[in-house]
Formats: sequence, structure tokens, C-alpha cells
Amino acid sequence: MADMAVQSDVMEAAGPYDRAKALSAFKLGDLTFYWITRISAISVLLILGGIILSLIVGAWPAMKEYGFAFLWTQRWAPSADPPVLGALGPIYGTLITSIIAMMIAIPVGIGIAVFLTELCPQMLRRPIGIAIELLAGIPSIIYGMWGFFVLGPFLANTFQPFMIRIFEGVPVLGAVFAGPPSYLSLFNAALILAIMVLPFITAISVDVFKTVPPVLKEAAYGMGCTTWEVVRSVVIPYTRVGVIGGIMLALGRALGETMAVTFIIGNSFRISSSIFAPGTTISAAIASEFAESDGLHQSGLILLGLLLFVLTFFVLAGARLMLMRLERKAGK
Amino acid sequence: MTELSVSTTAAGHVPQVPLPEAPPKVTVRNLNFYYGEHHALKNINLTLGTNRVTAFIGPSGCGKSTLLRVFNRMYDLYPGQRAVGQLMLDQTNILDPKLDLNLLRARVGMVFQKPTPFPMTIYENIAFGIRLYEKISKSEMDDRVEKALRGGALWNEVKDKLNASGLSLSGGQQQRLCIARTVAVRPEVILFDEPCSALDPISTAKVEELIQELSEDYTIAIVTHNMQQAARVSDKTAFMYLGELIEFDDTNKIFTSPSDRRTQDYITGRFG
Repeated sequence: MADMAVQSDVMEAAGPYDRAKALSAFKLGDLTFYWITRISAISVLLILGGIILSLIVGAWPAMKEYGFAFLWTQRWAPSADPPVLGALGPIYGTLITSIIAMMIAIPVGIGIAVFLTELCPQMLRRPIGIAIELLAGIPSIIYGMWGFFVLGPFLANTFQPFMIRIFEGVPVLGAVFAGPPSYLSLFNAALILAIMVLPFITAISVDVFKTVPPVLKEAAYGMGCTTWEVVRSVVIPYTRVGVIGGIMLALGRALGETMAVTFIIGNSFRISSSIFAPGTTISAAIASEFAESDGLHQSGLILLGLLLFVLTFFVLAGARLMLMRLERKAGK
Repeated sequence: MTELSVSTTAAGHVPQVPLPEAPPKVTVRNLNFYYGEHHALKNINLTLGTNRVTAFIGPSGCGKSTLLRVFNRMYDLYPGQRAVGQLMLDQTNILDPKLDLNLLRARVGMVFQKPTPFPMTIYENIAFGIRLYEKISKSEMDDRVEKALRGGALWNEVKDKLNASGLSLSGGQQQRLCIARTVAVRPEVILFDEPCSALDPISTAKVEELIQELSEDYTIAIVTHNMQQAARVSDKTAFMYLGELIEFDDTNKIFTSPSDRRTQDYITGRFG
């Protein structure tokens, strides 16, 4: 301490070192940095606000024309005079395909993550991990083509007839799995979506599973838990925030995915109880019709886009709420 | 400084009359352990006496934690680690590859260096372990949880917040929760791997007191870096160095008149 004091005395004596000037230079740098980061942050709000505003402006004529009935009208007849537009079909399709996709992708994705982190022999880990990452890198148009030419025919020839036969005559389920088999269906789209979002769930789950302290897992194994019990009671609760984050990211993608779905969903605005029937989603409807639309039709499509925006927002808000309730249940 | 305090505590707290030899609970014969190529334990021979506290001391890397992790086959989780030799828990061969590890770990519980409460409520932290082995009613479970928490000297502090997260407790409380959790499944042997190294002195004292109480019902092995702690809580002490068991004797003898020069050097703080 004393040494340092002496040293600084010597330094001040040695050169005309202007402390104030140096500090003001720092201050300027700091200020610039502060404004650059602040402007970046604000620009996000501006862009978001701009998008919402332009959606509302674009959708305004349709909103005025159809009002809330837009939400529960099933008929979509843009070429009628005046055009009749209802969003129920696309909303239904969007929700159903996303729900089925998540029902498939969540268990499989988390299952892969558990296998990779807990059970997989070391030498298999990297190949499987890389394969999952590559799956995420495939452009959605390729999924669409593959779904159209390979997966669709395959499902229509094997899986769909099988399910239809099994559930024939069963109440409720019989209607869900009703025929005829089709290349283009809600279920095919959902399956493609599941494959597309799988890497998100797996990659994020693997990352957060790796953050579980080994000693915590050892403690659970030390109680005599099996691997399944350790995963269910320790690993997943410990990482639930991260896992749910991954699921939400995946759900966000599933809700908005356009190209692959447009290829294989059939673009039918009719709602059918069967998941093997063609349908449409909001984004598929917009993508397939927007180029040839004008006037009220176009405004209706923009309104659909706005609905997708709102839907996604509510899904994310719901996820937050669920997370909070989970935490309360765990006693936080 | 170290020398002085060790000798006073050793003289002050350990009974001068050695305890009668206890029937063996765990018997180790010619045990060798390998991390891949590395030979970490060399020809270990010792016994843990029933309802006795056995302390393992030695400098870092001497293999004492490794030895502890052989007792419940924790090393099995990691490929490339293997143990050779004989290790008996009563009549059970612990190293038998066909042994049911879940049952072994029900008999041999472990408390770790860092507190490891599970991400669930305090109540669930205890009930979780019990549920793995027993199907009991809610009221029975309440009893068992209370008993375990009393056993862990934690009941009075948490009885009003059993539904709070186990993570909301202080470090010392968390560690006692882990001890209660271990006790709840009624093991025969409890392994403590430096249980106090992350705790403050008051929590440490509580845990040490608890270990002494537990030794009435359980066979205890404790690894510690703190020689006073070994002197305070244990009946027998094993000094390990570079993977070998140098000396294994009554705690009193180890700390007052060790027979090996290296033990002497270590407990007097000349190395370690």
C-alpha cells in the first residue's frame, strides 16, 4: 500500500500526465458505446411496431368488412361478389398441425437428448449430434419436396390405411382417423413439421441437460434411482426453463412454417374432423394466394397474417404462464 | 498452529479408551482401482466396523474419495473406471457385475461435498427417495418425512415450509436435507464425501454432531480434508497417500502416536 502511494507520487512528478483529459476521452468512448447499444435496442421496438402498424393498416378494410365474424366463418370464397372470407379453416389448421407436430416432436426430441447425454456410448455422440444439427440446416423447401414426393405417398399407402382400419367404428377416434388416405393432409404436414422442429428441441435440450451438475445426478443415482428416474425427477425439473424455451422456439417455428406446409397440406379451407383430410394453415393460405390477390381479398390475407402474429404472441404468453405455474409447484 | 490444535482436539474429544472392535460391515481385500490406465488405488485392505465412524484422510489426489466411490459403485457411471479385488458388504460382493446397483445404493447412501438438493420441494426431496423403494400411504409418508427431517436435525427449521423448494434453504440446511434424504431410505452404510467443505463453521458443527448421532444406527465412512474433523467425529482413521493405505488404526492412536513417519508428517502439517 505504502509502496503504491510512493510510486504514484513519483509518476505525477515525472510527467505532465493529464488525468482529466484521459478521463474525458474515456467518457466520450463510453457515451458512444452507450448510444450505439441503446439505438440498437430501440430499433428492435421500432421495427416491431412498424410491422404491427403496417399489418393493421393493410388489414383494416377486411376488419371493417367482416368484423369479428372473420374469426368463426369457415367459408373462404374470394372470387364471390362480394368476396366471403373467414379465417376459421386456416386457424384450425395452424393449431392442429402445430399441436400434432409438438405431440410427436417433444417426446422424440427430448428422448434423443436424453439418449445423447445420458446413455449414448461416447463414440456415437458426435455423429448423432451432427446429424441432428444437419437436420436443422435443411431448407424448408426441400422438406416440402420430400414430403410431397416421398413421405406423402408413403403415408397414404401404408400408415394412413392402417390407422383408418384400426379405428374404424371407434367413437371420436374413428372420426379423427377417417379416410380416404391422401397424399396431402393435415397429418402429413404435421409430421413434416415435427421433423423440422425436432432439431430445435433436441439441440437445446442437449445443451441444457449438459448444465446439470454431475454431482446432482450422482446424488440421485446414489439414492438408487434408475436412469429414467434420474432424468424424470432431477434432470428435466432442473432444466425445465431451458427445455420449455426450446419447445417454444420449436412451436414458434411450427406455427409460422410456410413453404414445406404449403406443399403438402392440400390448401383446403374446409374443416374436416379427420387429420388425414387436406386442410390449410394461415401461412400456407397467405403464401398460396397472396400473389394473385387484390383489394378485399388481399386485405383479408393480411388480416390472417395479423392473426398469426397475435396467435404466436398468445402461445408465447401462455408458455410464460405455464413456466410460472411450474415454478410455483416446485416451491420457488 | 495446525499441530497445536490437532493435538489438543485429538486429546480433548476422542475417548482415551479405544472402543471394542466392532463386527465388520464392509470388508476390503486387495482392492485396486484404475482410471483407464492410471492406477489410483493400490492394494487396499481394511474393514469398516458396524456402527463405527471411519475417517479417510490424506492429501488431495491420494485416492480417498475414489475409495468412497467404490463402496457404492458410483464409478460405474463413468466408462473406463474399474475396480479389481474383493469388497464385501456383509455377505454381498459389491464388485459383482451382476449386482443390482439400485439395491446396493439403497443400502449404501452417500452425502456429497456440495449440497445436492433435488429441484423439488423439501417434502418431496425426502419422499422421493422413500417412494423409490416403498409404497406407503400419505400419512405414513408424512411420518417418515418428519422422522427423516428430525434425523437430519432440520425439522424445527423447516416444519412450516415443507412446500418450499429445497434450493431455498441455506447451504448448511441443504446439506442436512441431503443427510435426512439419505437416512430416509434406511441405508446400512452412509458415505460422506467431504460433507462440510462448503459449509460455515456453525453448520459444520451441526453436521459433525449429526454424524456422531447417526453412528449409533449406521456404519459411517467419511472423507475429510480437515484433520480436526477426523479427530472429532471418527473412531477409526485411515491415512492414505498416493493411492496406498499407509496407516489404519484407532483415531486416537493415529493422532497421538502414528506408527508411520508419513502419517506423522501429514497430521503435523509438514506436507499435504
